[in-house]
Amino acid sequence: MNAKNIFKLCVIGSLGMATLGLTLAFNVSTAAAHGERSQEPFLRMRTAQWYDTRWNPQKTAVNDEAMLSGKIHISEDWPRAVIKPNRTFINVGSPSSVFTRLSSKVNGVPMFTSGPMEIGGDYEYVIKLRGRLPGHHHIHPMLAVNGAGPIAGPGGWMDITGNYKDFTNPVKLLVGGTADTETAGMAAGLFWHIVWGTLGFLWIAWFSIRPMFLIRARVLAQEGGDALLNDPVDRVVAFGMLGVCFVLIAIGFFYTDSQYPYTIPLQAGEPKIKATHLKSDLTVKVLAADYDVPGRALRMTLQVTNSGEQPLMIGEFTTAGIRFLNKVGVANNMDPTYPPEIMAQDGLHIEDESPINPGETREVKLDSRDSLWEVQRLMDLVHDPDQRFGGLIMAWDEAGNRHINSIAGNIIPVFTRATAS
Amino acid sequence: MALFRTAEIIKASKLPPEGVKLSRMIDAVYFLPIAYFGVFATFHMHFDLLAGDWDFWVDWKDRQFWVTVTPIVEVMYPGAIMYYFWTFYRQPFGATLSITGLLVGKWITIVFAWYWWANFPANFVMPATMVSSALILDCTLLLTRSWMLTAIFGVWAFAMMFNPTQYAIFGYSHQPVVVDGQLLSLADYMGFTFVRTGTPEYIRIIEVGSLRTFGGHTVWISAFFSAFVSMLVFTIWWQIGHFVGQSFFWVKGKRGVMRRMNDTMIVGTDEFAQRHGTPDGIAPGARVAARTAATTIS
Repeated sequence: MNAKNIFKLCVIGSLGMATLGLTLAFNVSTAAAHGERSQEPFLRMRTAQWYDTRWNPQKTAVNDEAMLSGKIHISEDWPRAVIKPNRTFINVGSPSSVFTRLSSKVNGVPMFTSGPMEIGGDYEYVIKLRGRLPGHHHIHPMLAVNGAGPIAGPGGWMDITGNYKDFTNPVKLLVGGTADTETAGMAAGLFWHIVWGTLGFLWIAWFSIRPMFLIRARVLAQEGGDALLNDPVDRVVAFGMLGVCFVLIAIGFFYTDSQYPYTIPLQAGEPKIKATHLKSDLTVKVLAADYDVPGRALRMTLQVTNSGEQPLMIGEFTTAGIRFLNKVGVANNMDPTYPPEIMAQDGLHIEDESPINPGETREVKLDSRDSLWEVQRLMDLVHDPDQRFGGLIMAWDEAGNRHINSIAGNIIPVFTRATAS
Repeated sequence: MALFRTAEIIKASKLPPEGVKLSRMIDAVYFLPIAYFGVFATFHMHFDLLAGDWDFWVDWKDRQFWVTVTPIVEVMYPGAIMYYFWTFYRQPFGATLSITGLLVGKWITIVFAWYWWANFPANFVMPATMVSSALILDCTLLLTRSWMLTAIFGVWAFAMMFNPTQYAIFGYSHQPVVVDGQLLSLADYMGFTFVRTGTPEYIRIIEVGSLRTFGGHTVWISAFFSAFVSMLVFTIWWQIGHFVGQSFFWVKGKRGVMRRMNDTMIVGTDEFAQRHGTPDGIAPGARVAARTAATTIS
């Protein structure tokens, strides 16, 4: 080894030590989210529009029940790039099965299997969960659309305390008795795997205790080698093994059949869920919208008509699970448990804050401004091949009744501060 | 009387004692790290890519697709491996080696990936076992000593025995449960209760009731179809084994012409030198000369 090689090894070794040192020096924290921010803004804003999401309670113990609930509006402005929601499934976005899911209802209908949803429809979901793995978990409602993939709703933190070893998940069987999903069938499965695995290894071992390769290959190449290698004792063992296999298969089959006389195939029907529709006395039309890139603001000019009998005030714009509120929204729809990292309490500004009176048609300039546009990577809208936005506008009358409109429209990016002002 | 013909076989191999000892060392080195681990690593990957989800999840183990797909995919590697072990060594454990190897890989995955990393209980991700079918296949080859008969009878049994074998493991999962007024099998409910963020229900490729015209005997219809396709697949993979498992030498003859020699075992013997000559300047009859005549291995 010459000096040059020694020098190279020293450099490589130093780099290795430096890497190790940096790893130890930096705080390497656990990844705790599900990449929801990496989904394209047009996908998050114009497919499933999530609202009223609740994580209740936010702290549970192992075996205790919790609820993940809320509503989704299936946007009328569903993007061209995304397969239509002909087969969907309300799911839970969680780091593994930290909760088990006990039931899932959409508009009151159990959703164990997937089914169609209607564009423009509104769906209320209630997912009952049971704490399984202790920890601090980021939990999303999720709409999985066949052909489009999962569309993550807003994520909130839920804590589970206790010990996983205490976890049980019993389910009542139709024919009596219960089964624990955590352990059901485990003993039989392990038993048969061990039985067959042992037989398999014994079969291989039977041939491994004698010369296996080189010697047999040399013999086989000779005349009469094939006959010599056809050892009668192997034939006897093979007959025996065949018998053992068929007998064991029969025993396993008939014993199991006697244990479980009533069985059914996997169920693959689809739930028929009737959609509801948003109710609002407002009619909202997007006249223009621009996205102020440096100002981190979505500015909309809306034509709003109040066809009801009560004056209405706009209080919230929500899109991609992110909420922008003004004082009207805070007064009427402030959920203190909603994750603060996806809510801007003073994020909605209206040029004329006076109520929209019955019968009035007004041009409303609405400005949803907050760093959340950047933090939640919705500013990436400017890089999308589909430059449209969507979301829900919420307004309230004096009695506190909520009126929700789904809006969508073209959006023009504004790249410089000079043109933005 | 000896149990085995080992002494006769060793004698016929014409290897000196040190050669026999060396051959056993080669057996150990070749069999465990190369043949066994090589097979289980590649077969595991091959199987998971083609039939992985049916094997991963209890709520994918249906009467139609699981029963059809699994034997077809699981017979592929055994076909090629059986060709190799049988043709070159007359060893009848190619299928068992492949399937037990697959299961070793599967259980490593269950313990480290599914249980330790992803926190799913082992019963939810319990794999099927086809060791019984593999043993039947190997025994058929040993007893018939014909790959064609093995393809017809052995592979038929290989696929047909799949469902009865698995029923002992997964029969429990077809017990009926009622949740929220809806009838489900326990397997359906397990698939529902264990949250899989990236695997929504519609991903399942399972029976949706399209085999009703066969009188409801979905399992056996699927098994017969699977057996038929498995026979075809086995023969194809046996031939793949033949294609990739060829062993021959390119040998330079007396007149300098390169010839392909399929009889690889003869290379290095006096007989080889007498038949095919030796390079110039080396006297026929010398083993060392014959060994150097083998110039290229393909």
